[in-house]
Amino acid sequence: MSTTFLPCGEYHENYREDHAWWQTRFIKGKMIALMLVLFIGIPYVADDYWLSVCNQVGYTILGALGVQLLIGFCGQVTLGHAAFLAVGAYTSTLLTLEFPWPKLLLDLGLAYPLSIFVAAVVAGIWCVLFGLPSAKVKGFYLILTTMAAQFITVDFVITQYISQIGGRGQAFSLPLGTIKIGPWVIDSDVKVYYMMIVLVILLTTAVVNLLRSRVGRAWVAIRDNDISAEVMGINVVQYKLFAFFVAGFIGGVAGAFWISNLAAISPEHFPWFWSLWLVGVILIGGVGSVHGTIFGSIFMVVVMELLQMAVIPLASSYPKLLMDFLFIKEAAFGLAICAFMIFEPNGLAYRWWQTKNYFNLWPFSY
Amino acid sequence: MKAKALVVVFAIMVAAGVGSTASAAEVVVGALNDMTGATSDVGKDYALGIAEAVNYCNDNGGVNGKPIKLIQFDYGYRVPEALTKYKLFKRMGAVAVLGWGTGDTEALAPTVTADKMPYVSASYSGHLANPAKTPFNLFAATDYSSNARATLTAWFDTRWPKHADFGKRKPRMACSFMFASPYASAPIKAIKDQATLLGFDIGPDQDVSLFAVDAKSQVLSLKDFKPDVVWHGNTTMSVSATMRDAYALGLGADHIINLWGFDENLPRLAEKAAEGAMAATVNAFFNEPGIPMMPTVVEYAKKFNPGVPQEKRLSRTVQAWSNVLGLWEAMKRADKAGTLTGETILLKGFRTMKEFELGLGGASLTYTDTDHRISGKVPVYEYKSGKFQRVTVVDLKGRWPDKWQSWLGW
Repeated sequence: MSTTFLPCGEYHENYREDHAWWQTRFIKGKMIALMLVLFIGIPYVADDYWLSVCNQVGYTILGALGVQLLIGFCGQVTLGHAAFLAVGAYTSTLLTLEFPWPKLLLDLGLAYPLSIFVAAVVAGIWCVLFGLPSAKVKGFYLILTTMAAQFITVDFVITQYISQIGGRGQAFSLPLGTIKIGPWVIDSDVKVYYMMIVLVILLTTAVVNLLRSRVGRAWVAIRDNDISAEVMGINVVQYKLFAFFVAGFIGGVAGAFWISNLAAISPEHFPWFWSLWLVGVILIGGVGSVHGTIFGSIFMVVVMELLQMAVIPLASSYPKLLMDFLFIKEAAFGLAICAFMIFEPNGLAYRWWQTKNYFNLWPFSY
Repeated sequence: MKAKALVVVFAIMVAAGVGSTASAAEVVVGALNDMTGATSDVGKDYALGIAEAVNYCNDNGGVNGKPIKLIQFDYGYRVPEALTKYKLFKRMGAVAVLGWGTGDTEALAPTVTADKMPYVSASYSGHLANPAKTPFNLFAATDYSSNARATLTAWFDTRWPKHADFGKRKPRMACSFMFASPYASAPIKAIKDQATLLGFDIGPDQDVSLFAVDAKSQVLSLKDFKPDVVWHGNTTMSVSATMRDAYALGLGADHIINLWGFDENLPRLAEKAAEGAMAATVNAFFNEPGIPMMPTVVEYAKKFNPGVPQEKRLSRTVQAWSNVLGLWEAMKRADKAGTLTGETILLKGFRTMKEFELGLGGASLTYTDTDHRISGKVPVYEYKSGKFQRVTVVDLKGRWPDKWQSWLGW
């Protein structure tokens, strides 16, 4: 799935063209159109509900990107990623609410943006701590150590100590107007949406670039066969830990972003189920594909919402359908994972790749 | 071919769902319930009660002739899910929302304030009772903090004087609850303040999960402190597990409980350990005799959920009825005054209620511009000899008039 064929009649004549992000005019046009849709179209058309759905898609993408990096590109299975989102969220909240920022920074509205960066670094370092066992163990045992991250971080450290800072209902209440970027107060769904889009684009670009670099190639080598990677001279432990750092960093950004959508934060926002959900996202989207992360997130959030929309017209005749929707949703989640594992183990990203190649090679797409 | 037909049907249903909004002839009310999450042990019965009570309202004329259309979702006690569902209610033209948990209600509080959407929650957190901060958050019940203060006071007044050590030393109190749960932690500051006021020694808090089926280590930790009374802040399943372990390990303390941990299931689950447990219940128990509206509540339970045995129904049904009837009255008043919007429901509806009686065995409803605590008088029950019985009504406002106002909002 690594190669996308060039459209008929397109040729690369040098390495620069070969490594370009947007390789043809059509792709450039397509990406500009996508940006227009994302920055103008959706905010113009969508109401608060659909914007909040988009924000949830963005939050899922940001959360799942780190999981994709660890599982899909470095082969380190993680089942505790919600912990790093929690670290990011709590660090950013604490810094925004409690840290004595210089007045100049507060006036410039830089407290929250800086807190996102610090939160990401803290979450990255925290993730490295739980990645340390990966130097010795892998597979099933590594899954257990990452699960420990959830219980130690959320259920113990945050619940018992961090969330007690300042007393309940004081330290972690985020009244409207608390979150500010420059002169903009993040107080509506559309502002959260813009912030989400910028973060998703920045982090996706960063991850894709990392994957095109020596680091990315080392991760893929470790994923494919760590012994061979070591034989080739790759410092396996160092690169694994770096993968954990980057995954934690992205998770930290996701957590710090999510507080802009909330008015209060508690450990309940980061249940273990969310870690599992993120793994489901990349399984459905496609393991080992950044596109897959995005497709998986859209599928898991939007399709579930559409399913709910389909139930609403029936609710006047069968009111209990609405109440039972969560059962339907949970069942659909499990069923979707089973169906993808059986019928499309490469996920939605593979379908996207097939579709793109079909049109690129058209009319000779056989 | 069949697959294509299915896709077309699905698309039509989605389009119908996306396009569905309120018609002028009906009043849309959203309800968020927990049937599957951490608080589903008490949430299922509450959800049934909501639907039954709305049916009763519609059978009695709806909102001045306009039927109430209830859109009820199970959100599994997941905060992000609640945020999206709230937006969906708004999109569907809801004029008010019947909410559930403390976490999501507090998370949504600024949004409902900005949207001017009355949010009548099953969370009775004291943090939501100050209209200066959360003007659109309401509930037809006394708040957790008042309940906690009242229950401790009732124990202090009725049980402590009979204790062998009365007059020789201070009574000892400790709290057992899930630290991470906004619901469970909501009244902790208040009950400790009340304990200090009454002259208690306060022991170390014990963290017990809402999902707990075993709390032996927490009970053993408490044994060193030897509490005379333990405050349980969780829901019934977890509270009964803790009380069973306290009984088995011979803790020897009395138990006072937050209201979501005290219902008909408590003696079923805790058996002998439930004897003597006390709590401030905000309403009567299901099928309790002598309560004016109770025959109606029971009739609608039988009519709309005949599959649920009557003996399995809980006081949660009655709590749901309280919130629905409170909101119904507010909507009728607002509609009669002219228009039915979030703002009029608050100002022309709730805020005009003075000592309004629901007939469900709870305190009467009074909402003012500066205080959304419905009453200073809190009924306290105990479970004794196989029955729930009212012990006393603690008049917090009458007993501590100088402090009552300062207790608002926490």
